Amino acid sequence: MTVRRTGLRVVIIAAVVLIVGIAAAALAMRNLWSGRTGGPVQAVNAPADVVARGKYLSEAADCAACHTAPGGAPFAGGLPMQSGFGTIYATNITPDPDDGIGRWSAEDFWRALHDGVRRDGAQLYPAMPYTSYRGMTRADADAIYAYVMQLRPMKVANRRTELNFPFNIRLGMLGWNMLFLHNSLPAVSDGRTPAWQRGRYLVNVLGHCGECHTPRGIVGEMKLSRSLIGFALGRVAAPDITPAGLASRGWTAAGLRAYLGRGLARQGSAFGDMHPVIMLSTRNLTAEDLNAVAIYLLGDNPPPPAPLPPPDATESAEAASGAGRMSYVALCAGCHGLDGNGVPNTVVAVRNNSTLRLADPRNLIVAMLDGIGAQNFSHRASMQAMPGFSDKLSDAEAAALANYLRVTWGGQKGDVAASVVRALR
Amino acid sequence: MILQTRPLTVTINGRRYGPIDVPEGLMMIDVLHEMLGLTGSRLGCGIGICHACVVIWDRDDQTSEEVQTCITGAGFFDGKRIRTVEGIARRNDKGEILALSPVQQAFLDQFSFQCGYCTPGFVNAATVLIERLKRAPVPRGQVEATVAAALEKHICRCTGYVRYYQAVRDLILATPGLTRDAA
Repeated sequence: MTVRRTGLRVVIIAAVVLIVGIAAAALAMRNLWSGRTGGPVQAVNAPADVVARGKYLSEAADCAACHTAPGGAPFAGGLPMQSGFGTIYATNITPDPDDGIGRWSAEDFWRALHDGVRRDGAQLYPAMPYTSYRGMTRADADAIYAYVMQLRPMKVANRRTELNFPFNIRLGMLGWNMLFLHNSLPAVSDGRTPAWQRGRYLVNVLGHCGECHTPRGIVGEMKLSRSLIGFALGRVAAPDITPAGLASRGWTAAGLRAYLGRGLARQGSAFGDMHPVIMLSTRNLTAEDLNAVAIYLLGDNPPPPAPLPPPDATESAEAASGAGRMSYVALCAGCHGLDGNGVPNTVVAVRNNSTLRLADPRNLIVAMLDGIGAQNFSHRASMQAMPGFSDKLSDAEAAALANYLRVTWGGQKGDVAASVVRALR
Repeated sequence: MILQTRPLTVTINGRRYGPIDVPEGLMMIDVLHEMLGLTGSRLGCGIGICHACVVIWDRDDQTSEEVQTCITGAGFFDGKRIRTVEGIARRNDKGEILALSPVQQAFLDQFSFQCGYCTPGFVNAATVLIERLKRAPVPRGQVEATVAAALEKHICRCTGYVRYYQAVRDLILATPGLTRDAA
């Protein structure tokens, strides 16, 4: 599809959404007039156990990932989120009366999480994942409210959202919500055990995993029929985490628990946007909840993890003698080893690595070109930086290297063309 | 077991070596130390972090960059031109040192190092930086930040970096053509 046609479709759909939105607005006038700006500063004195539960839930819901800017005060907002429609800045949710949510009641807080409506009545944009949080229980929302309301208030002013017309008309979100806001998100696996139910709540609602892992449509809505099938919202794509997708790359419940709990598993280490998710959120989950997440992602009857298939004889002979292997020996083997097994606790294995086993070579190429910065993990583990090789590999060399890795240790086809690398530079 | 070898031809400090048969998978630091007798580059961490082992790769477009030899296989350097710390000072035909480079002299003058293990890496990094500034001078106000960025990856466990950074900063500020006045 050409860019122009995409643009036209966006405008048409946006216009439809806007018209539906205005119609909905007429129906929802009462709702709109209910918005308030002044009012008393709330004094919340919840019992300690409720606050503690709220803290745990706020971590499971990963509020800090967006509501804390790099180097900024916790929950004081400011993180810019780029979208195809403009930039949205996460807001200050500390209890400051003027810059934060100090005047918000538990009801106001609930409406934001459940309906995507601010206290002043304005519509939120779904960069705030109320589309997922809508499934949250009132008790859990109240507990999170009790927790954030006892944080230290921060006088950090919110930054204005910078969206292009017509997306800067918040009223349009009424129409968007009518079309795309659902009470619950579809299950991605089969199950009925209590652990599976809990996992569904943790993944679909609190963890809002689908916000990155589910493909988005033309006006930014989650395509729920393809839930968790993977999507490239940023430079590093969120991979397929459906049961079939996970099993095809060798994931097991034990592997998922290690990955989400520690950021490191035999299948690979967390990088890109997933690393902060683990550090801020999933590593804090209890063993029971981690297990529930793994059970939900794979289902009550998990598919067996696919063993690494033996490489195709022709392709691997080609790969072994070609430029890809030369580059591997010259640039990668020093750390990852000629056998691809890496160094325990220091360098991840590339053999059977989840990223190599993805059919889409995007993340492998991005890692090769950009490198991966030094990262700390939970349990005092840390990984050194992997250098990027964009200046040492031509497009053709990088493609050959990616193909060598895919064929030899990923069970994938060596079908990456130089143009794919060029597009990712 | 038969060791797979590959021929390596490389120009080091202006002298052409090879073709020599190098076992596949051997890192360049081992080739320098064990096969070519160039022992000035230091093996530190062995995983590409400390940068004690860097050599200067002179690219055909007249730019240069540091490459960690502990994690870079010899094969990468086939057909390339590099400089090691042995090639930084000015020498006569017999290989005797006539004069240290300005970077080396500055490090000595300012007592930049103690044990000296990381020094070959710092010499090469500062050399690459000075050559880059000759091509593209920076405003005087940005010299400290430029030095910090250029040397940042080099790890030193003795001196706390201050004297290395000061030596390079002072050398840059005292050398005409490396800085410009306007912002």
